[in-house]
Amino acid sequence: MEAVIEVKHIHKAFGPTVALKDVDIKFYPGEIRGLVGENGSGKSTVTSIIAGMQEPTSGEMYYQGKPWAPGSMIEAQRAGISMILQEANTISHVTVAQNIFAGREAEFSHFGIINMAKMNAAADELLGKFGLGHIKAKHPIDMYNFEDRKLIEIVRCVDDNTKVLVVDETTTALSLEGREILYKLIHKMAENGKTVIFISHDMEEILEHCTVLTVLRDGDIVGELNGQEIKALGAVKNIRYLMVGREIGEKYYREDFDTSHSDEVALELEDVSFNEIKHFNLKVHKGEIVGFGGLSGCGMHDIGRICYGIEKLDGGRVLRNGKEIKTPLQAIESGIGYISKNRDSEALILDGSIQDNIVLPSLTALERKSFISPKAEKEMANKEIEAFRIKCNNGKQWVGTLSGGNKQKVSFAKWTAKGSDVIIMDCPTRGVDIGVKQSMYSLIEYMKQQGKAIIMISEELSELVGMADKIIIMKDFKVTKEFERSPKLQQTDIIEYMI
Amino acid sequence: MEEKRKLDIKQFLQEHVNDIASYGGLLFCIIVFTIVPPIFGESIWSQAKLANIISNVIVTALLSVGAVFVYSLGNMDISIGAQIRVYAMLIVLLGNTTGSLLPGILISLVIAVVIAIVNGGAGQVLKVHPIIPSLVFMMILQGVSSIAYAKIGSRNITLRSVDFSAFKSTGLMVAVLIVETIVVSYLFYYTKYGKSARAIGANGVAAEQSGINLLKFKVISYVIMGVMVVVAAIFQMGYTGSASDSTGTGFEMNVMIALILGGMPLSGGMRSKVSCAVIGSFTYSILAVGLPLIGVPTNMTFLVKSVIFIVVVLFTCRKENGVLPR
Repeated sequence: MEAVIEVKHIHKAFGPTVALKDVDIKFYPGEIRGLVGENGSGKSTVTSIIAGMQEPTSGEMYYQGKPWAPGSMIEAQRAGISMILQEANTISHVTVAQNIFAGREAEFSHFGIINMAKMNAAADELLGKFGLGHIKAKHPIDMYNFEDRKLIEIVRCVDDNTKVLVVDETTTALSLEGREILYKLIHKMAENGKTVIFISHDMEEILEHCTVLTVLRDGDIVGELNGQEIKALGAVKNIRYLMVGREIGEKYYREDFDTSHSDEVALELEDVSFNEIKHFNLKVHKGEIVGFGGLSGCGMHDIGRICYGIEKLDGGRVLRNGKEIKTPLQAIESGIGYISKNRDSEALILDGSIQDNIVLPSLTALERKSFISPKAEKEMANKEIEAFRIKCNNGKQWVGTLSGGNKQKVSFAKWTAKGSDVIIMDCPTRGVDIGVKQSMYSLIEYMKQQGKAIIMISEELSELVGMADKIIIMKDFKVTKEFERSPKLQQTDIIEYMI
Repeated sequence: MEEKRKLDIKQFLQEHVNDIASYGGLLFCIIVFTIVPPIFGESIWSQAKLANIISNVIVTALLSVGAVFVYSLGNMDISIGAQIRVYAMLIVLLGNTTGSLLPGILISLVIAVVIAIVNGGAGQVLKVHPIIPSLVFMMILQGVSSIAYAKIGSRNITLRSVDFSAFKSTGLMVAVLIVETIVVSYLFYYTKYGKSARAIGANGVAAEQSGINLLKFKVISYVIMGVMVVVAAIFQMGYTGSASDSTGTGFEMNVMIALILGGMPLSGGMRSKVSCAVIGSFTYSILAVGLPLIGVPTNMTFLVKSVIFIVVVLFTCRKENGVLPR
């Protein structure tokens, strides 16, 4: 069988950082090719080169037997190669239909005037085909949440002409239902002889849906698994070994089931009401990990923002050491840290250096009579870079040039540098690979031992079961169930309270 | 190895394209205006021309350096010119009635701080685009000055009872500019004020979530600029010892052009630098003084400047590099 896309000797470097070393892969029709590897291993680099987002430093590509050198993503999409990105990529302030047909308005226009009714009808039909009847074409896109926008993006990217679909870490943004829609789509495409390139950190979905798997490490291909090997017993261990390049060991989550913690309350929500959340009470103690789980729209993310003083409450109080928290500044000064789930838009300054980002909450602490010494800043940043093993050239490197896992390490480092005692983490391991996840988990465990109070909001049940002392499950802005940490606790026990 | 060195050079060029364009632009202007004018029989390095450049550059540079804070927020203030007009008028009027420049300067400072608080605060509190309050102030101040000049019955007022010759000294001008640049650089690079302003410009949400009080640091940024506007107004007035109903016209645009020529990103953020203001002001002023010397008719200088401006902008606006996913 002839390959749809073939990349040969592809090399890509960002300055001194080499992202891809002489990579060869052939992609065949009808396959769902998983690409796995740690952050910075080169998965997204390969696909973004294929999809026209960037050019390789050297090497060649062939698409349907002909040399392939796309100048832009639009060119690639016209030729049949579409890519769904990690981050949101919809256009705000216009309708769903305008988003779906962006760049294709000519199909609906006469003498330069777009027939909106026709466009909306076509968009609604498409949405229906994808099983997204709840999204209406004529509505402004801003009415929909992150997940729906991601699904709209999929509708935009995929049409009859699509021969290759790249799904880059899309599922982290989707809830269970959204994922099902995406899985159905990629299987249908594969059945019709299309090629799907699937990038994910979620090992379970990789094993379940991919027909062939390529493992990358440090810009190199280190292994390829066929369908049988993927389904074989112990495949996960094998793949993890390939990804990390060493035995990852059995230790992953916490191993103890000791839920004891200090009686001292570190953070308290007292009868808090905010939008749909009514009369919410919460006590987090020193040395306790409180996990929040649920579907993405259940209100658990709001709880994190409320605890940090970002939201203006309709009623009730957030208390820390008896003092009320009303702004993020008050929260930080009383020793609370917050890691937003929207890492690139809220937690980090991508255009700033690693050092600038790490010291930002600590500026007041670094001040000596209003003077902030560059040496003290550098020392603080370098200490964290070393402790977290952030992969970078030096502290002056822009955060925007780092891989997802290393970015997340920077957003953690801000609060360890500050010495915060209460850490609110919203999706702390979103888009982060196993190696980094493992070190994050041991860091969280260490924080607990140090007597820090931790609020861990996560869409991944397994990490809540693995890490939290207490799991609070929310649905429709209400708490439906609380679970204590226990070796008997199974994810399946929890799911029914979420949906 | 060879390949790696090439990559290093390429990365260096990519990272510093703004610096290269701005310093290169200044160097280019200096070289051209050193070589060409002597052919026409004049030199820009004559003492008279040099003094001309300094006096030309000084007000723009004082303003641009002061405006670095506000521009690093990603904001701009278009009331600068009108502010200068009113401050110059106040200093001359009060100078003539009291016999000292001090009362006018103090009152101007008070007004400048009030304007700064409203300008910096309104955007944050009322959630309007920060250019709107400055537009309002521009109109108010224009209105005030035209009423005042109508009452005076003249379009031009001169300082009579105060000796202002000190302000004509090139040495003082340079000294004040150096001091201002050092003070602003200190605040901008080594204190919370500058670091916060740049962080707000780069990503306001992330800055707020890192504990930066947006309102406070925006207002402080505007206050720093306001004070520098008064300093610039003193020199603008002092050079001629007079003020008129057209003093300060277009200064807000000069500041913007100088900053862009100096490589300042208009969106603000971490790449904002004080040096942009200094470099840009000199480039702009050398162009202003030098173009007539190389035979460009005065009525053509705007067009020539615009061409140079476009070239610099095209040089500095390029695809973002290095922030792609991988």
